[in-house]
Amino acid sequence: MNKKKWLAAPYSIWSLAFILIPLGIIVYYGFTDKDGAFTLYNIMQITRPENAKALGLALLLSLIATLICLILAYPLAMILCSMNVNQTSFIVLIFILPMWMNFLLRTLAWQTLLEKTGVINSIFHALHLPSLNIINTPYAIVLGMVYNFLPFMVLPIYNVLLKLDKDVINASRDLGANEIQTFTKVIFPLSMPGVVSGIMMVFIPSLTTFVISTMLGGSKILLIGNVIEQEFTQGSNWHVGSGLSLVLMVFILLSMIVMFKYDKDGEGGALL
Amino acid sequence: MENNKLIDFVNISKSYQDNLVLDELNLYIRENEFLTLLGPSGCGKTTTLRILGGFESPDQGRVIFDGKDITNLPPNHRQLNTVFQKYALFSHMTIAENIAFGLKIKKKSKAYIQDKINYALKLVNLDGFGNRYPNSLSGGQQQRIAIARAIVNEPKVLLLDEPLGALDLKLRQDMQYELVRLKNELGITFVYVTHDQEEALTMSDTIVVMNQGYIQQIGSPEKIYNEPENAFVADFIGDSNIIAGTMIEDRMVEILGARFECVDEGFGRNKPVDVVIRPEDVDLVKPEEGTIKGTVTSLIFKGVHYEMDVMANGYEWLVHSTDLVPVGTEVGIRVVPFDIQIMNKPESEDEEAVTIDE
Amino acid sequence: MRKFIKRFYLLLIFILLYAPIVTLVVLSFNNSKTRSKWGGFTTKWYHSLFQNDQILNALSNTLLIAVLSALIATIIGTAAAIGIHNMKSKGRSFMMGINNIPMMNSEIVTGISLMLLFIAAGNIYGNMTGKGSVSLFGFTTILLAHITFNIPYVVLSVMPKLRQVNPNTYEAALDLGASPLYAYFKVIIPDILPGILSGFLLSFTLSLDDFVITHFTKGAGVDTLSTKIYTEVKKGIKPEMYALSTLMFGAVLLLLLFVNYAPKKKESADGLHFSSKAGVAKKVVAVALVAVIFIGGFYAYSGSSAAHSEQVIVYNWGEYMDPEVIEQFTKETGIEVIYDEFETNETMYPKVEAGAVAYDLVCPSDYMIKRMLDNDLLAKINFDNVPNIKNIGKTYLEQSQEFDPTNEYSVPYTWGTVGILYNKKKVKEPVDSWSILWDSKYKDQILMQDSVRDAFAVALKSLGYSLNSTDEKELEEAKDLLIEQKPLVQAYVIDQVRDKMIGNEAAIGVIYSGEAIYTQRENPDLEYVIPKEGSNIWFDSWVIPKNAPNKENAEKFLNFLCRPDIALKNFEYITYSTPNEEARKLIKDEDIRNSKIAFPDISSLKNCETFQFLGDDADALYNRLWREVKSK
Repeated sequence: MNKKKWLAAPYSIWSLAFILIPLGIIVYYGFTDKDGAFTLYNIMQITRPENAKALGLALLLSLIATLICLILAYPLAMILCSMNVNQTSFIVLIFILPMWMNFLLRTLAWQTLLEKTGVINSIFHALHLPSLNIINTPYAIVLGMVYNFLPFMVLPIYNVLLKLDKDVINASRDLGANEIQTFTKVIFPLSMPGVVSGIMMVFIPSLTTFVISTMLGGSKILLIGNVIEQEFTQGSNWHVGSGLSLVLMVFILLSMIVMFKYDKDGEGGALL
Repeated sequence: MENNKLIDFVNISKSYQDNLVLDELNLYIRENEFLTLLGPSGCGKTTTLRILGGFESPDQGRVIFDGKDITNLPPNHRQLNTVFQKYALFSHMTIAENIAFGLKIKKKSKAYIQDKINYALKLVNLDGFGNRYPNSLSGGQQQRIAIARAIVNEPKVLLLDEPLGALDLKLRQDMQYELVRLKNELGITFVYVTHDQEEALTMSDTIVVMNQGYIQQIGSPEKIYNEPENAFVADFIGDSNIIAGTMIEDRMVEILGARFECVDEGFGRNKPVDVVIRPEDVDLVKPEEGTIKGTVTSLIFKGVHYEMDVMANGYEWLVHSTDLVPVGTEVGIRVVPFDIQIMNKPESEDEEAVTIDE
Repeated sequence: MRKFIKRFYLLLIFILLYAPIVTLVVLSFNNSKTRSKWGGFTTKWYHSLFQNDQILNALSNTLLIAVLSALIATIIGTAAAIGIHNMKSKGRSFMMGINNIPMMNSEIVTGISLMLLFIAAGNIYGNMTGKGSVSLFGFTTILLAHITFNIPYVVLSVMPKLRQVNPNTYEAALDLGASPLYAYFKVIIPDILPGILSGFLLSFTLSLDDFVITHFTKGAGVDTLSTKIYTEVKKGIKPEMYALSTLMFGAVLLLLLFVNYAPKKKESADGLHFSSKAGVAKKVVAVALVAVIFIGGFYAYSGSSAAHSEQVIVYNWGEYMDPEVIEQFTKETGIEVIYDEFETNETMYPKVEAGAVAYDLVCPSDYMIKRMLDNDLLAKINFDNVPNIKNIGKTYLEQSQEFDPTNEYSVPYTWGTVGILYNKKKVKEPVDSWSILWDSKYKDQILMQDSVRDAFAVALKSLGYSLNSTDEKELEEAKDLLIEQKPLVQAYVIDQVRDKMIGNEAAIGVIYSGEAIYTQRENPDLEYVIPKEGSNIWFDSWVIPKNAPNKENAEKFLNFLCRPDIALKNFEYITYSTPNEEARKLIKDEDIRNSKIAFPDISSLKNCETFQFLGDDADALYNRLWREVKSK
């Protein structure tokens, strides 16, 4: 029986080579300058007002996007759960299907939809409604985040709700709780593992995105992801880029700790 | 026992998709009664309980509770509580929080809730478990918490859905006594669902035997056991020999080509009937003394008694006896008239035609 | 009522999810090349899609990487999950912690860290073999990266299934005489198969959709659909791309419908029914995968079968060369062209500097050439191999001396100016100054260039300073001016100015002169001017990096590009002014041949300057100030 643990050996080697060592390189770059001497300069770059603002804005927008995703996804997951078992797998797939269209194209399509002379405004115009001017604003970026990452919120919540013992809900009703009380006191707390992993799955990519902010923000809005990307691809300063990546990782680590607190298995079981 | 009806099911029908689960069920439950719904899985017993609990609504018919129609009342407004099959404890709450759940909803005072928790934990012999989480408890303990959680709300009726199903034999027997004790202490009505006939016979005041959406028989445990009204009940409750026969006249039935004296009257002449004889009521005597003759074909020691198969007139009789009769022995079979139970044949085919998957 | 609300809600989400998809499908039938204009119904993009080798190549790469990475990740991941499952709790939580890193890390950090790893590995390998730094980037690096981010998802989908497996079944199999291996494959694997399958599908999907990690780990000439699209986003997406996505989407949709509505033999609602359905799904997935592998393999094979012993690796701007020119060159010389594209000088530079990919021929702009020259990255061109240099106008070579003082390192490819493109219908007043970009009348109608030097050039010039200023005070002033302008700006874009101006999205845009000709052709209301304060006169020239492995082939290709007929072909394709005098003479359209936009008299551009390389420190300063503008 115990020999089987060696099956993890290839992955151990793999993760050493492709996860831990690369991470080590980032840490090395983050704490050294061009001559290889130790420095905190790169990390401290985050305190520059423009970088701090980019981080702050990224945090704000991704939190808003995560919240909206949660508000949209939870009822959706509940409705999907309440549907006929035979249809469910199909309907769930329908909601994942857009993921098979390329991420960049989907985002680009929103640009076409939201532009001043775009599809939505043309429709609004024909209906004599005021035009919608959110392209190149933070609103469009939030929309892009919500759109792209919504399935990552729906799926874990859906999976947890599906596994929920219906009698637990019945028990709550039986003990006198009305539907709202049942939701707040029983269903929602019990679905926390799904909610938490959904939040992580939306929050992290939103926090670090640079593509959505470039495409829907008209490059007018700088998020921390853009700053890091530019440090590597344009500024050609890998040291600062690595330093800022490390700062970003601290934020992600913090949210991971929150996640571990709820997901006591520590194995992210609610994800799938 | 007081005779006032507390609950009345009137013409309840329910089907899932194409499966008819309950067909025009009529049943009343008296106050302070320990009533058991007994039957094989898929017989409609759990559906009946869930309709009473408010988790299902019937396709037709009404449920009357204490004189009021509660058919469409949501579960949280019903004065009854349920103990679920798999306990359905809230795993994110401590035991104390689980027990306090219903009371908090009713906005009871803190002191009152604390008193109730202590009382309930003592009642189910789980003093001091208040701060633990359900997952750290054994099945039997969780079961008792589920009961405690229900009874602190002082329901008029406690519904129990196969609550002992997941427990092992010894624990199950202990819990049976415990439930009876609880019922007597609380002085409320219990409606109990089980497929275990022994459980039903041990605890109930009244047993309702159900099969395929129909009530087969209602009665006290003794009546159900001793006087089954049809072959299904006879077969389901305990072991029995069910033999097709003909009622020759009052107090005389013919089975397997031999005539037996019995005590039943009013079936008419030459009517086909089913005859039930419990294995412990079959007396093995010398061949020439018996009503019919046979040969012992198998013998198993069961502890309290021996279980034997006796081949006689083309039927294999099941016999329980404290006396050992070796295999191959020629014996005579005799039955005291009082121990012969005569039943009508099922009236229509469709009583058996419905199949239900639950 | 409740049901209605539920339905309505589902419908709303459905619309939200599918609006962009429908848009893309509609665009795939749009006769107009620009996204923002409906030019009638056509299916021509579907025809041209199957002739477009670049897209088909990207498709086969994408599918091949998705299948291979998902497959390998599934094998390693499943083995790992079984291994981890059998570990003691300490080892288990350690491994699961590591497993969480790529999932929890931002894609950008994962991508960059892998890029740094591959560069380091290349250097180590190069030093060991004595070849200097060696580029490892290519198909394999993408594959390795994808496997890396896929394994954790496989582990996570297999683990819960393993926990549900009843250990007794395995023991029962052993008890019945099965060998441990046989027992595992016959008993445990079928039990956890749903988890393995969902891990595989998840990996496949994620790999298919990944852009960020691929972006950082890809090598020259290897594109996936994502990176191809990203390059095109800046230039304007090729409509074939919409057609391709529509086809892919349709294929998946059909597959789904088939799995769900395939005739069911058993109508009873028992367990058998479900398993038979799952069986169909499995078969369909298997068939689809085989098809995918087959197609992918076919393309990979057809690609490699055409491999030539001789090759030249070219690194050019996106959409900056007629694909027919490349074909013609290969046909004439037998040299295979590996073609890679970049979006900005700044993204090109680190790749060449790091030697991530060893290119033979690169096409940077003036100031970047100077920078590369200063950093000793360029090789002298042997002009004996480039006799066609004679076709390049003398004035252009003289102008080139600003960044290549001896004319030994570069050959001009295109040149032009930066100016203002405006819509005559929206801007009634005469436009001759940069100041119109600060006119609040045109709030939200102005498009600025999204590159540091171009943006600062506009501000510096309108302040009357040199666009090569390194004076911190002047730059601060320019920065303030740009910040002042920001509320008026609709968006900072690069090549999208073109599409947006054509589609009437904006009234005024800063644009390269080369784009002006194309945009005017598409939308006659547009007019191009070079502001009187002066502007930038720029050159994009070919250079050969020092580490070029095929220098002679690069020179052959360079000579080919300088041939008048070829230069003409490229001019017509990209519409950027050519310095090739002989080619200009061949232009048929007289208006264009004599166009003041395409071919302004260099002497008339007195106030115009060429960008200089200002040194790393000044560069850092520019970058910092630009970020301050952006973050305001």
